Amino acid sequence: MKTLRLSRRQRALANCAPIAEERIRDGSMRATVIRARTSNEFANQQLFDRAVTALVRAIPIPLETAEWFSSKDLISPSKWTWKKTARNPAVLAIGIALVVIAGVFVFNLVGRLNDFPGSGTARKLLSIAGSTRSVLLDPVAGDAGTLSDLFFLKHGLEHYDVPAEFADFRTIGCRVFDDDEARRVAQIWVVDKRMQFFLFPAERDAKTGAVLQFPGWRYVHQEGWVGAVTQHNGVCFMAALRGRERDLAPYIVKASQ
Amino acid sequence: MMGDAGKAQEIFHTTLREAAQRAAQGELPNERFWLFRDARWRCLEASETDLQAEPLEMEEQEITEDAASQIEQLEPAHLSIWISAAPEPQRTALALFYLDEFDYREIVDLAELKLSELSRLLAAGRRQLQAWLNATFPKRPTI
Repeated sequence: MKTLRLSRRQRALANCAPIAEERIRDGSMRATVIRARTSNEFANQQLFDRAVTALVRAIPIPLETAEWFSSKDLISPSKWTWKKTARNPAVLAIGIALVVIAGVFVFNLVGRLNDFPGSGTARKLLSIAGSTRSVLLDPVAGDAGTLSDLFFLKHGLEHYDVPAEFADFRTIGCRVFDDDEARRVAQIWVVDKRMQFFLFPAERDAKTGAVLQFPGWRYVHQEGWVGAVTQHNGVCFMAALRGRERDLAPYIVKASQ
Repeated sequence: MMGDAGKAQEIFHTTLREAAQRAAQGELPNERFWLFRDARWRCLEASETDLQAEPLEMEEQEITEDAASQIEQLEPAHLSIWISAAPEPQRTALALFYLDEFDYREIVDLAELKLSELSRLLAAGRRQLQAWLNATFPKRPTI
């Protein structure tokens, strides 16, 4: 047996500790009693309280009053309700944590659903599109479709073809640059809506070297830009503009038709 | 609370009568302890019309191991008179606590106290009762 050091709140709780431990209804009181019950002081207090309670129970109650109480408790224990449980700080904290985890999971899942081979590179190129100034490009005035020959003859880039649907767009300039991830990238700036086109090698299987195919057009989003990507002959083509998917969709519909 | 069985019974019946009337009119408060709160205020009102003990500084002594055996020597009526003579809100705190029907949060709610106040009142009450027990049943000197 010893004297224990308790915090001010624990001391306050220990002074109000119930006579019987079965009556403890909250965690902080339970923790305090468990901590305090090894001390002499608390043991004396409990003996004292038990003796006083026994004496209080021995106070005679007139028969007509005692009948009111019969064998029932003075107060019914508080009912368990969902509302009460939900207000418990621990339950609330766990609930919030679960919602956050579920949110992150759904966010990642939705992100994964939109992923396709080369989507990472496409997003990176959208960032480049946002930071590119026209002065960086070699001025080229012509149809986008005619640049395939330029890319092949000047840079040795095979199949860097602008799809026929976008081939008629008038160009402002173009350039070819090397990127760590995307390797050789061709960038074309067109007049219409300040749209930019990117051509870059499609993603390949690390073991077999085979091109990872995906059908049709896929959308990617990055920093307020949206890109529509398609793949042909091992080269990806991306039409990009600042805006939303609905700004780009009409061009894709036209392209599909 | 009252230290007088007759007065306590009168308050008990008045409280129940009033509750029955309110129930008949469908005016029962939607609050768990309203009946006890009501009874407490009736006790306090009734006590105000009684002779009041002069406020004096009660002696306090640490609780001893022999306290339980000293308490066993007390008559229940003595204890009820001792508690009823305590000043408010200590009287309410001691009465509700030793009734052993309420937990500390319920007592805090019923007596309109803070936890620290309830703790101080109970601790002081124990030490004062111990001092009174020591004065009433002094220890026999051991040879």
